[in-house]
Amino acid sequence: MSIMTAAVIGTIVYWVIYVLDPYIFSWQCINRPIVIAPALGLLLGDFQTGIIMGAALESIFMGISAIGGQIPADALSATVVSVSYTILTGADAETGLAIALPIGTVMASVNSMFMSLWSAIAPYWEKLAVSGKPNKFLAYNLIFSCVIAPIPGALVMFFGLAFGVTGLNNALAALPPFVMAGLGAASSMMIAIGFAILTSMIWSKEVGCFFFVGYVMVKILGMDSLSIAIIGAAIAITMFFREKSMIDMKKELMAAGVQQDEGEEDFF
Amino acid sequence: MEKRQYTQEEKKVLKSMFIRSHLTFLSFNMTKMEANGFTITMQPAIESIYGDDEEAKKEAYARHQNFFNTHAVPFAFIAGLAYAMEKEHKEKGSIDGQMIESIKAALMGPTAGMFDSMFFNCLRIIAAGIAIGLCSQGNFLGVPIFILLYGITQSIGKYIFLRLGYTYGTSFIDQIFSSGLMATLTKSASVLGLMMVGAMTATTVNVPLNWTINVGQTSVVVGDVVNSIFPGILSIGLLFLLMSLIKKGKRPVWLIAGIFAVAMLGALAGIF
Repeated sequence: MSIMTAAVIGTIVYWVIYVLDPYIFSWQCINRPIVIAPALGLLLGDFQTGIIMGAALESIFMGISAIGGQIPADALSATVVSVSYTILTGADAETGLAIALPIGTVMASVNSMFMSLWSAIAPYWEKLAVSGKPNKFLAYNLIFSCVIAPIPGALVMFFGLAFGVTGLNNALAALPPFVMAGLGAASSMMIAIGFAILTSMIWSKEVGCFFFVGYVMVKILGMDSLSIAIIGAAIAITMFFREKSMIDMKKELMAAGVQQDEGEEDFF
Repeated sequence: MEKRQYTQEEKKVLKSMFIRSHLTFLSFNMTKMEANGFTITMQPAIESIYGDDEEAKKEAYARHQNFFNTHAVPFAFIAGLAYAMEKEHKEKGSIDGQMIESIKAALMGPTAGMFDSMFFNCLRIIAAGIAIGLCSQGNFLGVPIFILLYGITQSIGKYIFLRLGYTYGTSFIDQIFSSGLMATLTKSASVLGLMMVGAMTATTVNVPLNWTINVGQTSVVVGDVVNSIFPGILSIGLLFLLMSLIKKGKRPVWLIAGIFAVAMLGALAGIF
């Protein structure tokens, strides 16, 4: 497959995913690496690599996405570029993974730049909305989101894929071996950033210990994730109902306490 | 919960609103965020309620063009609620436009937090955890399972919460809040979330120490020594170091750059 064909396929995948998620179907589902990488792998003729890279990229991007409206790295473009690069050049997946985050970071700033730019047409949307033409409003919104909004990202994507991959490959081949070792180490440590963001979002003193339970279950007991999810769900459900009954009890006690107070008042 | 019978008209509007609620982020921008998606979702309701009353329609559209932002699933709940309120506004006049706006604004924050913790921090992690497990072994079934568990559930959630919002109206959120179950729900969800994050840290995070110290005749493999204390103790250390940096307000971009620098320097020194 020529680089140009692959660049076109990659750009189309980018475009379609960009429109499907978040505009048309779901939020943070179709545009996750675990979905994109296998799909792109299938189109580029190496399904297996796509699937395996999807798993690895999803681990990296699990926490690095849409935190409080700020997206530090764009998972979609990073996945498209790193999967195309790996499949086209036949490099090992680790190198592909290592270039994913820098590309994602660049694309995230491109995206947020345009996101701010589009604020400029907000007054126009407002005028259109109150004009009493609901179908026109819907149609214009659809055209904007499906056709105009993806253009800047897709352009960057296309040129990056068409000219970047070969350039990148030549550059990487010329590098001393320690750089590759460093890239590999960086990619396996960068995963921790995503998890750190995620953990600090849901961490609380009361339940933080469960992080280590999950860790030990895998590292020491060698359990698979579904089994851990089942055990975790059982703990969560038990906890929910126990706390619920405690809250109910507290309410009953308070109600009883109020009655008692009233009784005493009567007595005196 | 009692069953409620919808009229033919209500059914039609709710169905149309459900389909349109998938357009939550349409023309998303930084100033009004989901306002366009909300307006589009409200269109069938507004058209059905106000009919030919152009002036009232204009007012209603302007109302729903205001800044709006929440998670995609409670988006449908608030739209359902807004439908109920607009209807009330037209038919009984007991709710004024101001109130509709303030209720919408009041619900954005808490629902976003609640559903982020349920969908984004809990369900997504479970779905991704299972999918990553399957896919890392080369099994493509992880992909449809992920979409089913995390994508289709969003749609089902929207369907249910749109109707819930319309039917139970304002009292619903009040109830959860006053019963004090919101905190409990969040806490239970984060137990599950944390366990899954812990499990995934164990599978994926790795500090690939490749450092051998030669002391006279014997050589010490540092990685093995460290791991004999507790397997992967460096990974946990790295994670909590990063966490404390994030809590101090360091931006992720800098952490990425920092790790890159450490990895490169380490590789140059022969540690990795």
